[in-house]
Amino acid sequence: MPEFPPRREDTPTFPLPHIEHTPPSRISDHPEFHSLRRAQRRFGIRATILSVGGFLLYVLLSFFAPVVMNQPLFGRLTIGLALGLGQFAIMGVTAWCYVRHMRTRVDPLAHGLRVRLHEDESRRSRPAAPQSDAGQLFQQGARGFRAW
Amino acid sequence: MVTVAAIDDSSLQLTFVLFLTVVVITLFTALLTAPQRDEISEFYLGNRAMSPLRNGLAMCGDYLSAATLLGSTGLVALTGYDGLMYLGGTTVAWMMVLLLIAEPLHRTGKFTLGDTIALRLPRGQRPVRLALSVCILAIATLYLVAQLVGGVALLTQFTGVPSATTRTLCVAVIGTFVILYASLGGMPGATVIQIIKAVMLVVGVLFTAGWVLHHYDWNPNALLTAAADRSGNGPQFLEPGLRYGGTVSNKLDFLSLELAIVLGLAALPHVLMRLLAPRRSGVLRSSVLWAIGLVGAVCFGAGILGLGATALVGKDTIVGTDRTGNASVLLLAHELGGSLLTALLTCLAYLTLLAVAVGLTLAAASSIAHDLYSEVIRKGRASETEELTVARLSGAVIGVLGILLALVAWGANTATLAFLAFAMAASSILPTIIYTLFWRRFSAKGALLSLYGGLACSVLLVLFSPVVSSTAGSMYPDADFAWFPLQNPGIVSIPAGFFLGWLGTVLDKGRPEDSSAHEEFEVRMLVGADD
Repeated sequence: MPEFPPRREDTPTFPLPHIEHTPPSRISDHPEFHSLRRAQRRFGIRATILSVGGFLLYVLLSFFAPVVMNQPLFGRLTIGLALGLGQFAIMGVTAWCYVRHMRTRVDPLAHGLRVRLHEDESRRSRPAAPQSDAGQLFQQGARGFRAW
Repeated sequence: MVTVAAIDDSSLQLTFVLFLTVVVITLFTALLTAPQRDEISEFYLGNRAMSPLRNGLAMCGDYLSAATLLGSTGLVALTGYDGLMYLGGTTVAWMMVLLLIAEPLHRTGKFTLGDTIALRLPRGQRPVRLALSVCILAIATLYLVAQLVGGVALLTQFTGVPSATTRTLCVAVIGTFVILYASLGGMPGATVIQIIKAVMLVVGVLFTAGWVLHHYDWNPNALLTAAADRSGNGPQFLEPGLRYGGTVSNKLDFLSLELAIVLGLAALPHVLMRLLAPRRSGVLRSSVLWAIGLVGAVCFGAGILGLGATALVGKDTIVGTDRTGNASVLLLAHELGGSLLTALLTCLAYLTLLAVAVGLTLAAASSIAHDLYSEVIRKGRASETEELTVARLSGAVIGVLGILLALVAWGANTATLAFLAFAMAASSILPTIIYTLFWRRFSAKGALLSLYGGLACSVLLVLFSPVVSSTAGSMYPDADFAWFPLQNPGIVSIPAGFFLGWLGTVLDKGRPEDSSAHEEFEVRMLVGADD
């Protein structure tokens, strides 16, 4: 066993090189965090209003404007029934837009912030991080096929 | 109630054999996959590495109850357009879960909803956890009773009004299976039965719907024409207002019901618990997409089944068998495929209500063990083994409570009870979830007021509604204290729940929660801890 005196981790004797790169010390002050919050929340609320509100509007229209909804379009299909089928289409499109929005706008931002958060954490407790990474890699490697 | 036995004896026997076979096989599978170590995370969340398709199937299995398979198709068969709108609402409900609730809740959650709220309101967490488990227990018990009562109603289709012994036996057998699955199997066991049920439901409904369309040479117009002709209402069948038309209070009643369906899903305890199961939020997103697709497909198929029942069987026979229309799917199956298809669909209906009941019991048991016992009574000092024992015991207690209540209320209408549970969830739990996730100032007092207040408001409105008194279909038809005109309280109690949450927060003059707690919560919610 080497007999060095225990070194305190939180008093670096030399300036850490990358501490100047991240002036906001907390992740929640970061401008990227704010744009992440805006991107996720604004889309979620708008899309919910569009799909759920659209459906409730359709219910209201059916009851309070039956003359419009009963116009025949095509055989037995009325405007009301067609709009009802349209709800399924709206849902599909909204879900697709949501996935695309999350993939292109939200996920990259969240990933970047997550990496930064991990860096901050590992700076605070250096020895713990690499071990858990290795464990995860091993677990992923053990599962070589994709189940249904 | 029904007086005519709708379907012959041979299909009842076939159903019995089929149901027992499926249940015994799934029970063995569930016991084999049950948690082997005393780990609460395995009991609460099950296998966390499942693929999105399996998770989506389990979500679909948790959500679609016998009320959808029998009740909604019956409504389509009797009222056409109004019933179809009802099925639309059942699907649209998932949009709110996908867009607003699922991923933020998943990133901040651990085992129960109480954990999310504790992360956000660390100082006031104990009373809120208590309130939350009271609400979850009330909602889950009511919904559980609805499922067990549905079992009796289904038996009625075969034998006419069952005797007291048959009734007790039916409820007790289903209830016992529920307890076995929930208490012994935990979440892994529940997942097995949910997936098997969901696969059978999707295949069964789509197959029968395809058969109906094939009967009309895949021409939807011919199906609509035949349905309108045999509905006894002519073209009105395909126009709004057959059931909920006429007076303004009727229209408001339907809007109230739709609100409860659309908003209630996002607050149902067993669905919320299922959202926490996948480990990575990417998997959760794909799972919810699968669930939306599957639920949409089943609802679409159910609409075709309802129309097909009217077109092929005729309204007179459906109403003659069961006034509420619950028999329509079974009559349609008998018309199309004889006793074999009838037996298959009946077995499916029993499996459906069994699976939903298991999910509910498990959710209520987890909430009692984790929120009430471990965090409130033992103040976080309970060991995992202890918590697990409490979870298993409370699963059994809730199951027995459900059986007893179902025996008392066996004549009640399944769909009405189920949608009351939806309304209660939307007015008590949903405001707390939305405010916790999206409102910076939300305080513990606001949470308490919206949880207790929303629950009390919806329960009181139901007590003074036509569900309990004044009409021929209510629980006490002779008494009359129904000053609230609507069957479903949603349109009043949901805004009331949100208002109370706001009021409680604004009036809260105590020391506010540390802003660091909210900051940490928000970082967790948006950035997440996984991947």
